[in-house]
Amino acid sequence: MGLPGVYFRRTVKVLRTEVLVLPSRVAVLVFIVALMALPIFTQDYYFLRVLILTSIFAIFAASWDLLSGFTGQMNFGHALFFGVAAYVTALLNLKLGLPPYFSIPLGAVGGVLTGLIVGIPCLRLKGSYLALTTLAFPIILTGVVFAIPDITGGELGLAGLSRLTGSRVMDYYLTSGLMLILGFTMWKITDSKTGIILHAIREDELAVRTAGVNTTRYKLLAFCMSGFFAGVAGGLYAHFMRLAGPSGLEVGLSFQVIIWAVFGGMVTIYGPIAGVFILYPLMEILRVVLDNFPSLPEIRMFIFAGLVLLTLLFMPEGLIPWVRDKIETECPRCKVRNVFSRHRCRVCDADLD
Amino acid sequence: MQFLGRVGTVLLGLSLVMAMCLPVGAVEPVKIGVLGPMSFTQGEGHWNGATMAADEINKAGGVKVAGVMRPIKLIKVDTNEFLSIPDATNAVEMAISRYNVDFLVGGFRTEAVQVMQDIAMDAKKIFIGCGAAHPELCTRVTKDYDRYKYWFRLTPINSKFLGKVDFILLGTAAAIMKKTLGIKKIKVAVVAEKAAWADPIVHISQKVLPAKMGMEVVGVWRPSPVAKDCTAELAAIQRSGAHIVFTTFSSSVGLTFAKQMGELKVPAVAVGINVESQKSGFWEATGGKGNYVETINTYARVAITPKTIPFYDKYVKLYNQAPNYTAGTYDALYILKEAVEKAGSVNSDKVLPFLEKTDYIDTAGRVVFDKSHDVTWGPGYVTAIGTQWQDGEIKCVWPYHWQKVFYEGTVPFKLPPWVVDYWKNKK
Repeated sequence: MGLPGVYFRRTVKVLRTEVLVLPSRVAVLVFIVALMALPIFTQDYYFLRVLILTSIFAIFAASWDLLSGFTGQMNFGHALFFGVAAYVTALLNLKLGLPPYFSIPLGAVGGVLTGLIVGIPCLRLKGSYLALTTLAFPIILTGVVFAIPDITGGELGLAGLSRLTGSRVMDYYLTSGLMLILGFTMWKITDSKTGIILHAIREDELAVRTAGVNTTRYKLLAFCMSGFFAGVAGGLYAHFMRLAGPSGLEVGLSFQVIIWAVFGGMVTIYGPIAGVFILYPLMEILRVVLDNFPSLPEIRMFIFAGLVLLTLLFMPEGLIPWVRDKIETECPRCKVRNVFSRHRCRVCDADLD
Repeated sequence: MQFLGRVGTVLLGLSLVMAMCLPVGAVEPVKIGVLGPMSFTQGEGHWNGATMAADEINKAGGVKVAGVMRPIKLIKVDTNEFLSIPDATNAVEMAISRYNVDFLVGGFRTEAVQVMQDIAMDAKKIFIGCGAAHPELCTRVTKDYDRYKYWFRLTPINSKFLGKVDFILLGTAAAIMKKTLGIKKIKVAVVAEKAAWADPIVHISQKVLPAKMGMEVVGVWRPSPVAKDCTAELAAIQRSGAHIVFTTFSSSVGLTFAKQMGELKVPAVAVGINVESQKSGFWEATGGKGNYVETINTYARVAITPKTIPFYDKYVKLYNQAPNYTAGTYDALYILKEAVEKAGSVNSDKVLPFLEKTDYIDTAGRVVFDKSHDVTWGPGYVTAIGTQWQDGEIKCVWPYHWQKVFYEGTVPFKLPPWVVDYWKNKK
């Protein structure tokens, strides 16, 4: 049999015992396979462009969830990390000639530093005060961008960055692959010891402090990590669009990310990713369906808003947690999830009914 | 057998109907994507201008491509560029890859146009810009000709020249005031909305007016682009003793400012850029108080060329409003038609040399593209115009025998009577 055979058998076993037993995991598997196999069926430029942007925004939305969902640090100006990283990436690429595989990680480091700069003064604030302060930062930076057009390109922004890769298909694999890897990383972070502390800070910061945890340090860490992931998204965006402009700092983008995340389901990481993968292509489908319809943007926005409102009215936790609760049940004894059709837990055999 | 006979008859009938429905010798249309923020005035202009031209061309038989008359088919591409740049890029990509457009016209917000330009260049599609004035869009052609050669700008003129016209209008108004009222040194209040695009104008006017034009800048005021009250600024301007208010407005503040300036009868003339005053509804919106406001403009009912007045009248008749400069898509379509007919193809590389050699009299002047594929500005080419509201009518007041340029129907610039009275009494 040899080594490949052992790995194959192990993979099959994991698939059979860990993945195929839960519908949500099957859905994730199908999603990954579909995403990776898509270019085999179509290489339509428009189609791939929409999915590339979807993957970029999915990373961005998940990074917001890491900070605001898990840690409860409500950030209304998340576009700041995205915009700063886009500008840093653009400057490094245009002025120093760094290729994307250097400029994007360094841009993300720019996002981390921004997280620090914003995080330190904001840590004294809570709730709506924090939200409003964070909202102000991208607006301030937009002012700075216009004040120093020699460096930032002013209202034009910085254009002409080198391409992400040589082809649209490669761009697609890079962005969707990174989205999956970074999404998984963020999900693992939230599942780790650090993640549990971040979650605890959100629930009751005082209790965590009484337990002897330096919450300030953890909150700052959340700001930096979120800044990093949003920064990667910003860098990818800048290289894909070949532009870093003031539009990357707009308030609209900050709110958009919140809508995506809340719609998909906060405090899950995969919820915001799913939210973007549903809502962003939906807007494009509406563009095709409502072709030549008068006031297309308004109608699209109306349908979008209506859909989001209805979803949140009937599924306050967001779409994905709602669906998950319908198709899976949690074992009251061992907390392991089971498919809804089971009457006894697949691990401890406890009665699920 | 009888049943089979019936089925046969039905099938024969159906195939006859289908054959009649099929177009005989269907001709592939020339597909043109019209890019613009369609729910805003600018996009409306793009679409209206293009529709008007396409209808006219199609009525006349279409575009003659290698001996075949092909109709024009317009694809409305709503870029939504004011609200979302990714939206704009998706829309352009869709037009190119899904609708297989042959040419693109339109675009407005510079940041978005840059990205749309890149997508068009990747696909080697000719893109005639009708909306963004920033010089950089054409500088790209000179910097990297092989890549950006498919880009052309038809309207408006380069912002550098817009600035030049702006100062010419100011200088002309100042000369008239000096002559009529015997003022020795003209005092200017610089008022520009608080927006990035207005910054260079403010900066340059502070330098150029005292140094080169012999005027005094009495102050700079920067109201919000959406200010609903400008009385504080106007009171300060009145106290400063300004003779001219040099305006730079593209947003709704232009309306507020003009209205309140008329209400307060501030003894100064408003000259410069005021996009609101280019619109037909300006008179009603200011309740007539915006009388005598002057602005740079592209169209007015004046014979810039023999085509201007018929175009203007037809546009007003069809859309119940005066055309704004994004309606330059009208001319873009005719220019494309001419180049395509000469090239005998819709292939970008074949059309390109003919488009570069364009020498076409359109509704805004004589169009000749320079090396950077930008529309040439100057006497004998496209000049832009200065328009002033005179008792409920928008009149062309410039060029008025400027560099031997005079368009039939142009009238002299008028000073508001209260301004004349004030400065005459003051002496």
